[in-house]
Amino acid sequence: MRGHLPAPHHGRMDPAPALYTIRINGHLGAMMLSAFPAMSPHHHGAHTVLTGRLDRSALYGVLAEIDALGLDLIEVRQLERDRESPGSGDNCSL
Amino acid sequence: MQVQRDQQDAQQFWLALLGAVRRASGTTSGAEPSAVTPEFNGRAMVDRVLSELEDHPGRGVLVIDDLHELHSRDALAQLTRLLTNLPPNAHAVLATRRDLRLRLHQLRLAGELAEIRAEDLRFTERETRELLDASGIDLSEAGAALLHQRTEGWAAGLRLAAISLAGHPDPERFVAEFSGSERIVAEYLLAEMLERQPEDVQQVLLRTSLLDRVNGELADLLTGRQGSERILLSLEDANAFVVSLDPERTWFRYHHLFGDLLRLELRRMLPEQVPVLHRRAAEWFVQHGQAADAIRHTQEAGDWPDAARLLADHSFSLTMDGQAQTVRALLRAFPPGADYPELALIRAGRNLARGRLDEAAAYLAVAEAYAETTPPDRQRRLRVAIASLKLSLAARRGHLAGVTEQARFLASPVTGQSDEDIALSNDLRAVALMNLGTVEASLGLSDAERHLREGAVLARKIGRPYLEVRCLVQLGFASKIRPFATVQRRCREAIALAERYGWGAEPMTAPALITLASTMVWTGEFDQAERWLQRAMRALQADTGTDIRLLVHIVNGMLRACRGNHHEALQEFSAAEHLGSQLADSHALAGQVTGWLLAAQARLGMPGEARAAIAALADARVGSGEIQNARAAICLAERDPAGALGALRDVLDGTAPVVGYVTAVEAQLLAGLAYRELGDLRAGNQAAERALALAESDRLVLPFAMTGSRELLEALPRHETAHAALLADILDALRGSAPAVEDQTPPPDAEELSPGELRVLRYLPTNLSRPEIAGELSVSPNTVSTHIRSIYAKLGVRDRSSAVQRARELQLLSADRAH
Repeated sequence: MRGHLPAPHHGRMDPAPALYTIRINGHLGAMMLSAFPAMSPHHHGAHTVLTGRLDRSALYGVLAEIDALGLDLIEVRQLERDRESPGSGDNCSL
Repeated sequence: MQVQRDQQDAQQFWLALLGAVRRASGTTSGAEPSAVTPEFNGRAMVDRVLSELEDHPGRGVLVIDDLHELHSRDALAQLTRLLTNLPPNAHAVLATRRDLRLRLHQLRLAGELAEIRAEDLRFTERETRELLDASGIDLSEAGAALLHQRTEGWAAGLRLAAISLAGHPDPERFVAEFSGSERIVAEYLLAEMLERQPEDVQQVLLRTSLLDRVNGELADLLTGRQGSERILLSLEDANAFVVSLDPERTWFRYHHLFGDLLRLELRRMLPEQVPVLHRRAAEWFVQHGQAADAIRHTQEAGDWPDAARLLADHSFSLTMDGQAQTVRALLRAFPPGADYPELALIRAGRNLARGRLDEAAAYLAVAEAYAETTPPDRQRRLRVAIASLKLSLAARRGHLAGVTEQARFLASPVTGQSDEDIALSNDLRAVALMNLGTVEASLGLSDAERHLREGAVLARKIGRPYLEVRCLVQLGFASKIRPFATVQRRCREAIALAERYGWGAEPMTAPALITLASTMVWTGEFDQAERWLQRAMRALQADTGTDIRLLVHIVNGMLRACRGNHHEALQEFSAAEHLGSQLADSHALAGQVTGWLLAAQARLGMPGEARAAIAALADARVGSGEIQNARAAICLAERDPAGALGALRDVLDGTAPVVGYVTAVEAQLLAGLAYRELGDLRAGNQAAERALALAESDRLVLPFAMTGSRELLEALPRHETAHAALLADILDALRGSAPAVEDQTPPPDAEELSPGELRVLRYLPTNLSRPEIAGELSVSPNTVSTHIRSIYAKLGVRDRSSAVQRARELQLLSADRAH
């Protein structure tokens, strides 16, 4: 619950949740992973890739956690935007 | 100084910083006044820190650690101001995990900013070697190189590794395994370190990780064992990311990253224990009177109704302790949507503080309904808090009946007997006395002085200098009917005490500043009055209560009228009338203001308007001395001296009710002017002499200046007056105050506002404060203040409400112009 400052909105509504992959340098163990209960992890070479469906505030929450834990963030990528109503695309999560 | 974890309270940040600077300068003594007020003035605080730094003997280095934990936009803006205005003997070092919103480009351009980034902080291989040697770790050259490579020279990682390596049976193997792992450095090393600790040490580390600071007693409580203090001490000695916070080494904290990781581990290993531990910690903090921590842990435990109850019980004392923003942060931490009736009391207080009186009243009604559902002991406490808020509300509305009713309730004896109850009721009683006295004073009641004096004495006894200053300020303000010398002495005393605590420029000191200015207008010290009034207006930059703004307009109007600027005087008196009409009860000076307003109209050549205004007055006011005097001024403006004398008859013979004897002085002078107009110089001189006789004891100058009696006095032969000294003084004051050119033209069309100013202008009709407008527009509060000053200047107004009015007239607020 850090990052209490509102994210910039540019006059748009918070978009629907989308699938994100977040790549972090190094292998996160059980301790570190417990900070990201909403993300499913897998190791990819020397990296850890976290995947999950996030809305904007959840995304910034995850990024704030990465920052707080001093993790080495490599990449954030949006895979696809959920075009239907939130909650109807659960079949896509890993 | 060290920034507290997730610090959202600007005042707490600045108090800690001020304390650190003072300790370093050695200016802290036992008698050092605390700067705590419920109303935080960031600008004044930065000035205080700057002056402390300037006074610091020799070179000073200000180090602020963990600055990324500061989550207050205001505090960051204030810090920018501090950093860009540092005295030459002071240097600042900021340690932060990420770049912050500090606007330091000026310093950067001037080459006064050195940035040490992660790359510069990395240990070299040689430094790694030195660290290992210093820690007594025997590792091969190759092993040290491997360790350096694996940690990438990260100092904290190296220290963590050193803890595990110390006493490790096979350091080379440790480094090899570490190096072969892909796991995150911090996690790997922390897990290793933790695993190598004895079980009791592990328990202390894990279970106390959810505290921001820990002592032996608390750690024993959370582990359910004895001897935790010894463990904490030895961890600190081992340089193991535990640091003591005080010279006696009783309180400790963990390195933030270390603490975060331990907390994750605790949640993973003992998830069911987490709420239990928070609850235990909360209980300890309650017992030790540390309300903010107690509430935070109750929230963390998920016990929301309990947290709401605790916050309701403590919000008043926390606010008095200068933690208003902490209360706000705690309030924000409740889950959105869930509304606890306990919180209505706090929301009422918040709305009241921001002048939203109707909202405050609505929340108070909710709070009252809730209080009736609570058990007796708690109900008593809640009702005391509700009564105190109702009293403030009634005071803000100038509603005397409400004030006395609530005050009587608060004065009844306390039934709850815990120390906390007594402390709370003392706080509330002191505030009640202050509010009661304030309202009584504004209505001209003599009990005001007694209540304010009692309030000041109580406040001093319970160590609430803020309340003491407020009571003394109001006492100066309440002394209007005293001889001016007494009033001036009281005001100067109150201002001096306020200055001792650094509150000389705070809104709360303004009533004394204005009263002092006002006495100087009465006695003809116009230049001095102007200076004190300016100071009062600076202190009142933040929008405050109706009552005090009303007074500013009255005194300003008096000063303008004395200086012959009737146009400005009229504006000020009109503003005062308008504000006065918003008060539930009419204020003591209401009649006088109306009279002066009408006279100013007459003197500006608008006797018709003035007569129309009199016709619209309620019957009860028409016969008053002040209104009769105004009638006389109108007649004089219409060149009808006989009519003027007719209007004055009841005032001169003492049958018309008057606010004060100044009305009689004024009547004599108006009569003198009328006689002169009629060619009866002798009667004119006699009237002037009578006016002087009445004015002698207080050496009153104001009525002579306001009525424009200079020629009348100049015509009075010196040998015919028994008041030659006073006469000379008055004439000096009147000559010194000769108006510049009377400005009779209405203010010119507004100069074109800039786009930025127009954006700010659109927020002026709202309830938002300047910092809130700044938040809405994502600019600094300073920028908003600059824009507002400029808007006022361009619109030719002095305050927010007239700015809105003027902007409406000029159609600047309509949507098509507003971008």
